This record gives sequence, structure tokens and C-alpha cells, in this order.
Amino acid sequence: MKEKPEEKTEMKSDVQQGTLALMILKTLEVLGPVHGYGIARRIEQISGELLAVNQGTLYPVLLRLEQEGAISSKWGASENNRRARFYQLTRAGRKLLQAETREWKQTEAILSRFFELKPEDLR
Amino acid sequence: MRRLRRFFNRIFSFASKQRTEERLREEIASHLALQIADNVRLGMNEAEARRQALLKFGAVENMKEEYRAVQRFIFLDSLLQDIRFAFRTFCKSPGFTLIAILTLALGIGSTSAVFSVVDRVLFRSLPYPQSNQLVSFGFATPFSANEFLDAIDFKDWKNSRVFAEVTSVHPGGRDCELSESNPVRLECQQVDSNFLSTLGIRPMIGHDFTQEEDEPNAAPVALLSFGLWRSRYGSDPRIVGRSISLNGKATEIIGVLPASFEMPTLASADLLIPLQLNLSGLTRDRPQPLLLAFGRLRTGFTISQARAALEPLFAQSIKFVPAQFRREVTLRVRSLRDRQVHDAETASWVLFASVIALLLLAATNVANLLLARAAARRRETAIRAALGATPARLARQVLTESVLLSSLGGLLGCWLAYGLLRMFIAIAPDGLPLLQNARVDLRMLLFTLVISLACGLLFGLTPIWQSPQPEMLSGRDTQTVKRGPLRQLLVTSQIAISLILLTGAGLLLRSLWDLQAVPLGMDFRSVVTANITLPRYRYPQPAQQQVFFEQLEDRLSRIPGVTAFALSDFLPPSGRENAVTYANLQISGRSHPGAAISGMTGYRAVTLGYFAALGIPILHGRAFEKQDFSVGQNAVILNRALSQEMFGDENPVGQRMRFGPNDSWHLIVGVAADVKNNGLEAQTDPEFYITWDDSFRTVFDEAYVVIRTPLNPFVMGKWLRSGVASLDPKQLITVETMTHRVRELEDRPRFDAVLLSSFALTGLALAGIGIYGVIGFLVTQRRREIGVRMALGATPNAILKLIVGDVACWMGWGLLLGFAGSWFADEALRSLLFGVPPHDFEVAATVIGAIVLVSLAACYFPARRAMRVDPLIALRYE
Repeated sequence: MKEKPEEKTEMKSDVQQGTLALMILKTLEVLGPVHGYGIARRIEQISGELLAVNQGTLYPVLLRLEQEGAISSKWGASENNRRARFYQLTRAGRKLLQAETREWKQTEAILSRFFELKPEDLR
Repeated sequence: MRRLRRFFNRIFSFASKQRTEERLREEIASHLALQIADNVRLGMNEAEARRQALLKFGAVENMKEEYRAVQRFIFLDSLLQDIRFAFRTFCKSPGFTLIAILTLALGIGSTSAVFSVVDRVLFRSLPYPQSNQLVSFGFATPFSANEFLDAIDFKDWKNSRVFAEVTSVHPGGRDCELSESNPVRLECQQVDSNFLSTLGIRPMIGHDFTQEEDEPNAAPVALLSFGLWRSRYGSDPRIVGRSISLNGKATEIIGVLPASFEMPTLASADLLIPLQLNLSGLTRDRPQPLLLAFGRLRTGFTISQARAALEPLFAQSIKFVPAQFRREVTLRVRSLRDRQVHDAETASWVLFASVIALLLLAATNVANLLLARAAARRRETAIRAALGATPARLARQVLTESVLLSSLGGLLGCWLAYGLLRMFIAIAPDGLPLLQNARVDLRMLLFTLVISLACGLLFGLTPIWQSPQPEMLSGRDTQTVKRGPLRQLLVTSQIAISLILLTGAGLLLRSLWDLQAVPLGMDFRSVVTANITLPRYRYPQPAQQQVFFEQLEDRLSRIPGVTAFALSDFLPPSGRENAVTYANLQISGRSHPGAAISGMTGYRAVTLGYFAALGIPILHGRAFEKQDFSVGQNAVILNRALSQEMFGDENPVGQRMRFGPNDSWHLIVGVAADVKNNGLEAQTDPEFYITWDDSFRTVFDEAYVVIRTPLNPFVMGKWLRSGVASLDPKQLITVETMTHRVRELEDRPRFDAVLLSSFALTGLALAGIGIYGVIGFLVTQRRREIGVRMALGATPNAILKLIVGDVACWMGWGLLLGFAGSWFADEALRSLLFGVPPHDFEVAATVIGAIVLVSLAACYFPARRAMRVDPLIALRYE
């Protein structure tokens, strides 16, 4: 049976959403209060192709994080005096970031061990 | 925690949609502005900078959708949309909406209300643990509704091995007076010491009766009912041990019964007092106290086993019953539930059945309406499907509408149920057990709501099940009218059900009519009566009682405005009176033909003005006169039934008779007309009248005052009261008009008839609405066909015939089915009917006439619409 194409993209975006959230949290931890465009640029600089297009997808993720209480936001003035909404990590967000980071590292460790696995190791 | 927070945030943002939408727009603008500024700095011109910024940002609308999905529950949005749409369509066809909601409300409301009434009687569990083990047993005779036992038989029977425990109750209860500063008459029930433990009840505070307290001549004790404890003693927690004055005797309160307590006889009980029977001292040769016996079966024993075990004991006991009664006495063992509901049962089942019928009518109506609506909306559905609505989305729309409709109907129905129940309680006669405590049953409310919901869904969803047909989109309604049997079947069954309901109601109404027309044999208008019962503790001697009533007569007969005045020990038509064995009646110097007949003959003792006061005609001889009341005169007056039985057509005046072998002879001075002395429905029993001071009398503590007066009964009542109070200020008195006493007997039949008729009329209305709806729909559907017919030369009359012919056909089937059904209904109702011949023709004719009339009226308007169809417009239509 063929897999439906939508399902595939959905799954992909799921993974992306998860990583995107983590990237946002990390960005905010490093940069402090910053607006949406700033976050997008930063992630683009670091990750390259992930946010080169479709920067808009950032905003639903930001909204969800805010609903979960991980970040807070308020209107402010940008460096060249434009009105922009600034996002900031909350205490809960910091905790979440630590937890997620730990989890991510564990997953990474397990996966990398699997990738290092050679046929003779299993004999 | 995070999820919860998000959930509430989403709910919250559902309300503040406007603001967040605004924020998103501003954020996008600011993001783009920053990007454009950066791009310009990199050397692009304004237009290119904007283009690149937009490209980088990605699809804005997609993102907005995603943003909204995160922001709040999309489901809620579309639900709101559906609800708004549903309301709009409801407003567009207010007739449909109103009818559907009313139909649902009627169905739900009346079903719930009646179920709440019937539930108390039929399905409710008794307030005793393991109540299915409780039985009532004893002798059953034609002259008492409930089984009873002689005390001495009770002593023998109570040790039967089938019972874990057996207890007894005094049948009458005992009038008792709380003889404190202001005396009150209370209901005292005398019970065995193991009464509560047999039922499985413990006093709420205090202790149960002990064996010692039940010994004859033990110090008087009493258990208070919860109601009396609360109303009279202010729920005093230290009531136990307190002494109250009961019938002039200091009585110790030993406990309080739980609020849920009720007597197994359903009699009201303010106080329980020990029976204090001396069982061991009983002998056969002395008169026995009668008892009502209740037993708890041993685990594993059934009622039929109990009957088998009691059968030999019964055979033993019946030997002591006088020979002429033996044939009429049988053994009866039945569950407590059966005893409690026995006469309410038929009425309750009838009520229940009629309500189910009504629910069916309502459901078919809703089904019909929705079916018609769904058919009319096939095009809309097809268009929506073509525009990309999934079947699930379409179904959700229908679901929303159905739920909305059912909820509105249900809401109105709840309100109706409460109203109806209050009306039922208000018009219910006292005889219906436990009705006073009836509450609207929530389970039933829910149940009917679910039924109507399911019904709405089932029929509302039909257009979704049929896959949308592309030709529906063509704009021309090419669909031919389906003559599917479903709709016709619905109409036919509606007519059948209404016919059955109406027949039942008609029979009950006819019976009530007959009942009200029963000649009572007396003129009860402008007669005021009063009951006076002298408490034994203040008037222990018969002589004292006699003196009281003599003084009373002396005083009351001088009240101005009294046309006639009399005292009597019992008063028709209550059914209560003294009785002697008919076989013991003797005529001086000859035998009478009825000597071998078993049965009892009633009698009452009256004063001089009795026949005048009640307007009872004297047929032969004369009424009592002054000289009959002097000592040793011994006069008697027979009623016509007794005269007929003893003397045939001969005039008995001047003969002598006596009531027992050791009695003195009485001179028959007259024959009075028959009076309905035993309720309205029963036949007139033979009875005779003796004078108030006749030596045959033994009991003098109770008397009815009968006063014929043209004055307002309230005024007369006041004078009566003050007259009694001047003799004895502590004496209690109950004043009633005779009219009220008579009308009271009609309460129960009236209750049944009113209920069933209101159902039947509602049912008829529903059937009418149903027929109107179906015909109207069919006419609309067949518009083109009618147009073609008219274009080809059909006259309006032929069209009328076409439409009405359909209805007539369904009606014929409906009437046929309904007629068969009402035949059975007639049988089922028999025991509730009085004087109506079986399968009464007049009722059937009236009912059928009514249904035909309503059906024709219901199809008149749609048919007229059909007759006025303009062929040109009809053919061009669509």
C-alpha cells in the first residue's frame, strides 16, 4: 500500500515544529528579548535552509509557546525605531528549555550509538 | 500543566478572537517592514525588497490558518457557524420550527410527568431493605379490599416455617388525641413490637419497641414520626424520654422514626404505639380483634411456597368461620408491592400506555417533519457536497440542527413536565398512593430527550446517506415523487394510535358522566354535615356519650335557619355502617325467603329529622315520629331493597322483625327509598334504620350531624362549631357539605378521565399536525404533476379528489387498525369503567367522527393550495 503524501509532510512538519520550538527557546535564552524577525534571522543564520523560506511558520509556534507559558511577549520599539513585538523567555520556559535540551541530548546519544553500530557488533 | 494552561488559553482566545487577529496582522506587517528595511540596506530597490520579503515570509494565508488552529479550537468556530446557520434556517421556516419544538415539548413533557407519577406506583422500590421478601397474608373476603386475620389465627400462623419474622398492625389505626394545651387529632398506628425489625427499619433516634412494652397493661410508650417530631417538637434532639399526654394518658416517647418511614398499608402515621395484644389469653368463643399480618419470607422461599405452607393452617382456621360465610373466604398471600398498588395498578398502566402512545405520536411527527424537510433540502445538500463539504461535515450540520431543535423542545418539555406534574398532584384524589411525593424523574426526562434526539438524527440524516446526486445540481427538479411507504405508514399509525387513545378517553368520560348522573336516592344539595367523635378518655361511659349528643341535639336544632336537623351514626355514601348477619333476621310468625342467603345487612341509627334532612322519600308507612323515641317503642324502617328481599312485593308495614335470636321485636313503621349507601359504583345494599336511642345499639361515641339549611354552609359551619364548643370547648369537629362528600367519590374517575382526555386531545392534535405536514409536503412535491394534470384538463375538483383520496386511503387503514386496537383497550379499561356497555357504539362513533373531521381539516389547506395551482407557473417553476 502506498503512503499518502499528506501524511508524510505532516510528520515532517511535526518534527520541524518540535525542533523549531527548541531553537526559538535557545535563541531567546542566548539573545534575551527579541522580536519575531530577529528570531527568524538568527535561526536562518545558524540553520541555513530550515528557515530560508516560510519564515511565517515561526508565528504559530511562538503563539503556542506563549499559550503554554514558556515565553511572554509585549510590544516595543526595534533598533531602528519600528514597532515590533518582543518575545522573552519566562522562568517556566527556561525550565522547559533545560528539560528539552536534556531529552534531546539523550535521544541524540542513543541514536548516534545506533548509527555507530556495525554488523559485527551484533554478532 | 502546560497542556492545561494552553487549553484555557485557547478557550479564552475563542472569546477574544478579534484582538488576536489584529495582533497577528500587526506582527506580520512589522516582520515584513523589518525585512524590507534590511533588504533595502543590502541594496535592493523598494519593489524588489518587498517581493523578496514576501517570498521569504511564505504563504501568508496558510500561516494564518495554522496560527488560528493553534490559537483556538477550530471545532468551536465551525460549531458556532453551524448554530448560527441553524437559527437562520429556523427563522426562515418558523412554522416548521414551532411545530417541531411544540411536538417535542409535548412528547417529552407529558411522558416525563406521567412517568414520574406512574413510577411511584409501579416501579418504585419500597423503602424497606429486601422488600421483595415482604408479604401480606390473611383471609380475603368480598367485603374488604385487603386481607386480614383474627388475632387467634395470627397466633397460630405466625410460627410458619416459611417466614423469618411475622408482624401485625391494627387495621383501623386508632384515633388518638394529643391532649395537651390545644388538643390535636393524630393518626396513631398500633403495631406489634417486632414491626420495625420485620420491615428492616430502625428508629432514627431512640430505640425500637421492646417485648415488655408490648405486654398488655405496660406503661404507654410511643415512637414519633419524623414529620410530627419536626413540626410539633421542633426537631428536639433530646425528645427521647419526654412524656406527652396521649388520650389523657402520660406516654413516654422512646424514639423518632426516620423521614423515609411509611406504613406498609400506606396509611398515615403520626405516632406508632404498641399493639399490646394478649395473644396467650385469646379463646375462640370470644370476639377477636382483627389484625393485618405482614411477614418477611425466609431467604430462598417464594410466595407460592408460602401459600402452600399456609394452606393447611387456613384449612384449620376456616372451620371456625360461620358456615354461611365459608364459601366467600379465601386465603390470600401476596407481595407487599401488590397489596400497595392493587387498585392503582390498572389506572397506572393505562396512563403509562397512553403516554407511550403519545410519545410515539410525537416521534412520528418529528420524523415526518424532518423527512419532509430533508427531502426539500436535497438540492442544498448536493450543492454543499459539490462545493467540497465532506459527508462528515454535512452530518455535523444536521446533527447541530437536530440537537438544537431537541434541546429547545426538551427545555420547553421540562417546563411542561413540572407544570403537568403539579397539576396532577393538585387534581389527584387521596387514594392514589404516594403521589404527593412525586418528583419529575430526571432519568425519564433524559430518556425522552435522547429518544427525540435519535429520532431527529435518524430522519434528518437520510439525505446524507443517499449520496448526493449530481442531477440535483441541474436546477431542474427532475426527481419523481417517491410514493415510498414510510410516510404513509407514519400517517396510518398516527391515526390508529389517536383512535385508541380517544376511545379510551371517551369510555372514561362516558363512565364519569354516568357516575355523575347516578341517582343517590337523596337530595344532597344544601345539606351541611359534621362528624363528631367523642374521645373515650374524656367520655368513657356510653351514658356520658348519650348525654352529650342529647344536649347537642337540643342546642343545634334551635339554631336559626335550620330546616331539618338529625343525628346519625353513619352517613351515606361513605360505605361505612353497622351490619348484622342477614341470615339472623327474623320476621315474627313466619320465615322469610332470604334466610339461607349469606351476607350482611347494614343499619344505621338516626334521630327524628333524618329522612327530612336528607330528603329521602318514604315509600310506604311513615318516617320516625316523636313517639318512636320513647323507651321500649322499638320501631324500624326498611329500605326498599331489604323490603323487597324479605317480603317480596308485599307491604311490610305493621309486621314485626328482630335482628338476632335474643333481640327484642321491632315494629316496621315504614319503607324508605333506596339510598346509595356504599359509594356510587356499588349496587344498593339492603339496610334498615333504627331510632337513635334503640336498645340494640352498643356504640355511641361517634355521630354525624345532618342539617338541611338554605343558609351559606360556611355560616352554618361556624354556628355548628360554636354550638359544639359551648358544650365542650375541647371537642374536635369536622364540617363538610354533603355535596362535597358526594363529589369526593367522583375524584378518582375524574382524575383518570381528565388525564386520559388531555392525552387523547393532544394526540389528536399531533395527528392532525402530522397529516397536515405530510399532505402539505406532498402537494408541494407534486406541484408539477398537478400542473400537468390541470394543463391536460383536470378540474380543481378532480385534483381535490386526488389529494383527499390518498388521505382517505391511509385513514381507512389507520381507522381499521385503531379499531382493532381500541377493542383491546376497551377490555383493559373494563375495571375502571362504570355502567358503560362493552364496546360502546356511541363512543366509537363519536371518536371515529372526530378523527375523520380532524384529518379532513388537516388536509383541507394543502388541498386548497393544490387546487389553486396555476399550471403555467407550476410548469415553469424551478
